[in-house]
Amino acid sequence: MKKRSGRSRFLFLCVAPAVVLFTVFMIIPTLNVFRMSLFKRSAYSPTEDFVGLDNFTRLLQDANFIRSMQNTILLIVVVTVITFAFALIFAAILTREKIKGQNFFRVIFYIPNILSVVVISAIFSAIYDTNNGTLNSLLSFLSGKTVAILWKGEGMVMVSLIIAMVWQAIGYYMVMYMASMASIPQSLYESASLDGAGRITQFFQLTLPLIWTNIRTTLTFFIISTINMAFLFVKAMTSGGPNGASEVALSYMYKQAYTNSSYGYGMAIGALVFLFSFGLSALVNAVTKRETLEF
Amino acid sequence: MKRAMSFLLAAAMVASCGVTAAAEEGEVLKVAAIETAYGSEMWQEVCEAFTAETGIEVDLVTDKNLEDVIGPSMKSGDFPDVIHLATGREDALTETFIKDQNIVDITDVLSMTVPGEEAVVGDKIAGGFTETSLTNPYGDGKTYLAPMFYSPCGLFYNAGLFEEKGWEVPTTWDEMWALGDVAKEEGISLFTYPTTGYFDAFFYALMYSVGGAEFFDQATNYAEGIWDTPEAQTCFDIVAKLAEYTEPTTPAQANDQDFTKNQQLVLDNKALFMPNGTWIVGEMAEAPRADGFEWGMTALPAVEDGGDRYSYTWFEQAWIPSGAQNQDAAKQFIAYLYSDTACEIFAKSGAIQPVLNISEKLEGDNQMFYSIYDNGAKAAMGNFAAFTPIEGMDNRTVWFDPVNSLVSGTITEEEWIDGIKSASDQMRANLIQ
Amino acid sequence: MEHRKKSTSEGIYKLFIYVALITLAVTIIVPVAWVFMASIKQNSEFYGNPWALPMGVHLQNFADAWNKARMGEYMLNSVLVTALALILLLVIALPAAYALSRFQFRGRKILNVAFMAGLFINVNYIVVPIFLMLVDGDTWLRQIFGTGLLLNNVVVLAVVYASTALPFTIYLLSGYFATLPHDFEEAAYIDGAGYGVTMVKVIFPMAQPSIITVILFNFLSFWNEYIIAMTLLSDPKGAKTLPVGLMQLTQAQQAATEYGQLYAGLVLVMLPTLILYICVQKKLTQGMTLGGLKG
Repeated sequence: MKKRSGRSRFLFLCVAPAVVLFTVFMIIPTLNVFRMSLFKRSAYSPTEDFVGLDNFTRLLQDANFIRSMQNTILLIVVVTVITFAFALIFAAILTREKIKGQNFFRVIFYIPNILSVVVISAIFSAIYDTNNGTLNSLLSFLSGKTVAILWKGEGMVMVSLIIAMVWQAIGYYMVMYMASMASIPQSLYESASLDGAGRITQFFQLTLPLIWTNIRTTLTFFIISTINMAFLFVKAMTSGGPNGASEVALSYMYKQAYTNSSYGYGMAIGALVFLFSFGLSALVNAVTKRETLEF
Repeated sequence: MKRAMSFLLAAAMVASCGVTAAAEEGEVLKVAAIETAYGSEMWQEVCEAFTAETGIEVDLVTDKNLEDVIGPSMKSGDFPDVIHLATGREDALTETFIKDQNIVDITDVLSMTVPGEEAVVGDKIAGGFTETSLTNPYGDGKTYLAPMFYSPCGLFYNAGLFEEKGWEVPTTWDEMWALGDVAKEEGISLFTYPTTGYFDAFFYALMYSVGGAEFFDQATNYAEGIWDTPEAQTCFDIVAKLAEYTEPTTPAQANDQDFTKNQQLVLDNKALFMPNGTWIVGEMAEAPRADGFEWGMTALPAVEDGGDRYSYTWFEQAWIPSGAQNQDAAKQFIAYLYSDTACEIFAKSGAIQPVLNISEKLEGDNQMFYSIYDNGAKAAMGNFAAFTPIEGMDNRTVWFDPVNSLVSGTITEEEWIDGIKSASDQMRANLIQ
Repeated sequence: MEHRKKSTSEGIYKLFIYVALITLAVTIIVPVAWVFMASIKQNSEFYGNPWALPMGVHLQNFADAWNKARMGEYMLNSVLVTALALILLLVIALPAAYALSRFQFRGRKILNVAFMAGLFINVNYIVVPIFLMLVDGDTWLRQIFGTGLLLNNVVVLAVVYASTALPFTIYLLSGYFATLPHDFEEAAYIDGAGYGVTMVKVIFPMAQPSIITVILFNFLSFWNEYIIAMTLLSDPKGAKTLPVGLMQLTQAQQAATEYGQLYAGLVLVMLPTLILYICVQKKLTQGMTLGGLKG
């Protein structure tokens, strides 16, 4: 009997601090996002007026918001596809092939992930410079004529963001896949080789199915991470411009809440982004469900 | 239980009384000022001079991004007593306070004597500066914001290049377009702009030069049908045509991180004109430039030969937030900003107070800039009327950000105008009366 | 014949792999090295070609950044916030993860689900409500004590960091705890050790690899974070973290930018993460197999 009560007290002490902090700084603010989205509240005078779903109906007619959502979706899809393709290919190369300096490449590829976005945006500002930037200089050198692509102009600004975000993310996911690929027994590949399966067949028939669980988990979190990273990149690199061409959902939320003095409206955006990311994660999770292969 | 509550309440009241009393005894005036190209030392000096004159201690805060540093603490109810900050900045903090009507009426300051002097504040301030919609945002004849450091805005160019090529600075838009074609053949673009935010001063002066003060007032108050008038159409046409003559890399660099690259275009003789303010000289002081480069500044060209030419006067504002604790001391401080001592300290750093006869005391580039009105240009002042916050809409994104798209050719002039018309209707409906 | 054909295609394949690997490595090494190079340039050199070599070694930038631009102070704040947040996080998350993964008790399931759901809540979605909550707290404190202490407080920032990192950390640690066999605890109980002693003396040492992973990942995210820091540390004369100070330096307008100091600052924010990464890169990349995700 004594032991039992000691047990519950121990468990309570273990769990309580985490539960309290989690509730105060995550659950309550999250509920507040949804509550505040039904109010009109201005920045410096904290009066709140209940406006029901007005903020949401307004949002659906706000062309800038719709564009920011389109940009967000574009980034989620394109950055995910490109990053995953590169990460998987490089991971497969580094684990399956005998490469000199394998460790060196692994270490280097991971570096962008440890850099602050502030540093990355400074780097890319120099890369994307129209007249002196590396990218245009390189393209001019390769093509033999002067290339003056406006990387941060309206047409290319999303491409520029995509490049920067992919650059930042490849290493992380590559290392993650390398870890799970390394645990696939070599014998499986040997027997596949004997059956006459080439590298590409092996990759699709063996490697991919065997690390599928890992891919699924990363995919779900990649969605949330991309929504977030897009905000950090936009805030540091483009301020949403030119003319809102690179605005994404969270940067628009921040702008409406802080710059345009419309907290309620900003939180309505927050609420929609929340539901969107949750829904999308669930969808991706359902679509990618496969029989798990064991080795 | 009830007793405990009332005890707590009483304790709280005592505590809060104690605090206000302490604040009055010490009389520490909290001043927050934006640090611009003028630097922050001048503020330090003026505050010291003020303390020496009145005995009121000043706690000064200056920062290049003042909004980021005082904004959040104000949201938590901790307000500076005097805020010095320009309108038209990205964070639109002053505009927010105007919209929320959280600014103290300082009309009485104009009839106060300047501390340490005989003169009355209102007599020292140059004509027109306290009658604009920037200082009297609600059009009720009351002054809420004190005019500070004025600086004529205009089109900046390389005077050396004009001399070298034998070009005349255009006085009408027709001459401007002709020059644009000539320059194009030499591989020079006619126009660039740092960010779209710099179009506000440009557009205000344009509206004055096209339709005069009456048109300007109606337009900035979003009068019904004003954007269908021939005057408005002329303004739109000029901006749209200017967009065609704009250096093509401009929109790609018109963001907070890369805007100096656009300013550099003028220094490198890649673009002829850009709208800017007198701070540009200090801002680009260390930047490399073409041989023989020399700053020049001109008012906007006239619409027709012999028409009026305008140069917008940009000025900053000092104001007292309603949440300020020491409002009386704050008013004294504002009055002191127009004293001869303060004006001299400011002028040393290049910040020119809008007081009478100040341009005589200037030298160098500044004399040229501040004498723009002596050469026949008229001063344009005022800005868009304040409205209660509209979700998803503000002046800059409606009027000026689309210029980026006009330059890139992704929207048409009509689409731009349509956007302005529908926004203007909503803004009119939300005007603060 | 057949064999030779195979080996030439093998050769081309190998060549192709190496070109791909080296290209990616170069795109990472060059820009990062460039930041170091730029940090020793004179201010006037920044207006020209960004990729030109520096004309001399201008180490004054670092001294100026450290003193004039207050980077020294910001660095200290960053160190303080990061360290404090890490300590708090470990003290709170370790027992919670232990209890949640190795004990059966009422409410365990719902807590696990709640923390799992927390993985989907990105901090940047809820930064506005957190901020407003602290504002209200401060207003209340000011009424009672005459001074607010929640905003502009590095300790509060550290608490927010630690709280919002809880879901990820608990998820990662419980995953690891769950793999440990129960024999160890039973042996300890038989020896008469209590729950607390068993946890600290027996289990935690065994969880060392996962603890190191937790420290590394959270160090990187705390050190590089700037949105929350920017929002919660608002007093101009008060504390700021390094990324926030840099962000404000990159976007200052109508004032001459001190590029030299800016890039010296970028090096200061980058260097600790790089050094730490180089030292522990093996552990870091191993650790990723444990979690397999990032928040």
